[in-house]
Amino acid sequence: MELLYIGLLGGLLALDTTSVGQFMFSRPLVAGAITGWVLGDLSLGLTIGVVLETYMLVSFPSGGARFPDGTTATVVAVAAASVVPSAGALPLAVGAGLLWGQVGGWSVTTLRKLNGRLVPESSDPSVTVHRVTLVQLSSVLLDFLRGVIVTVVGAGLGRLVVSALADSWPLAEAPSLGLLVVGGAVSVGILLHDLGGFRKRRVLFVAGLALGIIGARFL
Amino acid sequence: MSPPLTRSTVISAFLRSFLIQGSWNYRTMMGNGFAFAMLPALKRMFGDDPEALDASLRRHLNHFNVHPYLSGLALGAALRLEADGTDAETVTRFKMAIRGPLGGLGDALVWATWLPALSMLALALWWVGTPGWMTVVFFLVLYNAGHLALRVWGFRTGLREGRAVAQALTRANLVNIHERLQEAATVMLGLLVGVALASPTGLVHTGLLWAALGMLAFVVGLKIGHRIWRPTAIAVVTAIAILSTWGIVT
Repeated sequence: MELLYIGLLGGLLALDTTSVGQFMFSRPLVAGAITGWVLGDLSLGLTIGVVLETYMLVSFPSGGARFPDGTTATVVAVAAASVVPSAGALPLAVGAGLLWGQVGGWSVTTLRKLNGRLVPESSDPSVTVHRVTLVQLSSVLLDFLRGVIVTVVGAGLGRLVVSALADSWPLAEAPSLGLLVVGGAVSVGILLHDLGGFRKRRVLFVAGLALGIIGARFL
Repeated sequence: MSPPLTRSTVISAFLRSFLIQGSWNYRTMMGNGFAFAMLPALKRMFGDDPEALDASLRRHLNHFNVHPYLSGLALGAALRLEADGTDAETVTRFKMAIRGPLGGLGDALVWATWLPALSMLALALWWVGTPGWMTVVFFLVLYNAGHLALRVWGFRTGLREGRAVAQALTRANLVNIHERLQEAATVMLGLLVGVALASPTGLVHTGLLWAALGMLAFVVGLKIGHRIWRPTAIAVVTAIAILSTWGIVT
């Protein structure tokens, strides 16, 4: 029953990725916090959300782009991590979420191909006001169902994997988070490249870095 | 507001623009979504003439794609052109002309700067120990203040300017705003790296080796990651995980 609730949550959050509004409830940071709160562990959800948000900093929900589905990935990761209270649960769940994000991305592409068959073209003789409205709303409903299915299957498999492997994880809690942050540092480096590169932006980057280090010492 | 466009049809079109990507596909992209958003106004304008309604619906079903937050600009301008009785060919050519610039500008302005800048600020707040719910609310409120302001501005500008939206875009100087946002995002990036290193739960406190590995991964991302980011991140994490199972990294 809990998986069904998680699936419904995944479906609702997945709608925000591109189909409805794009208010960024679907970003890992927010999706992780909401899922954690629903499952009774806001802190765990937020930690996973922070890690996956860092990984997804260079992944944009651009209409035409093919991107990993960070929303269902986050819901799956939080659901998977919540079953076992051990140091290995966090990295394994994040790993499962990242892998499942690829499956989610594939499901988005598949749905878009299906939408391509449903939408009428201007030359189509059967075009009516009713059909345009029906296709639009049906596609939104299909995206919701896609999110539900991807989340339920992913959370089920993720929980199995984490339950089976968490106890044999070799690192303690702090280095486990360290490992995930190191992986996320790759994305942060890529983002600096996208923002103009170190050479062009070094003054602003170093100013931010100094501010961050000083802030971390005093806050 | 000219007679064919009532307040309710305009508001309805604006609200429908939030669903414009609902049927996004690789054939017509947001063509169906655009027609769906135009429908209330088209029915009001051509409701008494089924043939005119059919023709107007078909010309908005064509292949179309812009950044969703700036779709209101195209939508508002198309509504203005239809309400002014502009001929079909001009409306179609206008839509073809603006889709490229509005797509590129929106991606650069929102996806490549506004979103990552605020994401990084929120992540930095989390690293320094800000309560979790406050971090999330801060991100959502600030992000959507900019998001909704851009949508409302775009729709109103399109509705007011019609075919002259290009001049309105030039006056708004969005390119300059994009440059300032890039600078702000760079500061946020530095800030995030700083707090992820130096905060009480940061990499320096986990161990200097972890901090060094983090900086190395950052440089790897900066130099080669933009070409193969996912495999790079996975390779880095896997290599360290293997080292840790051998006890080299603890």
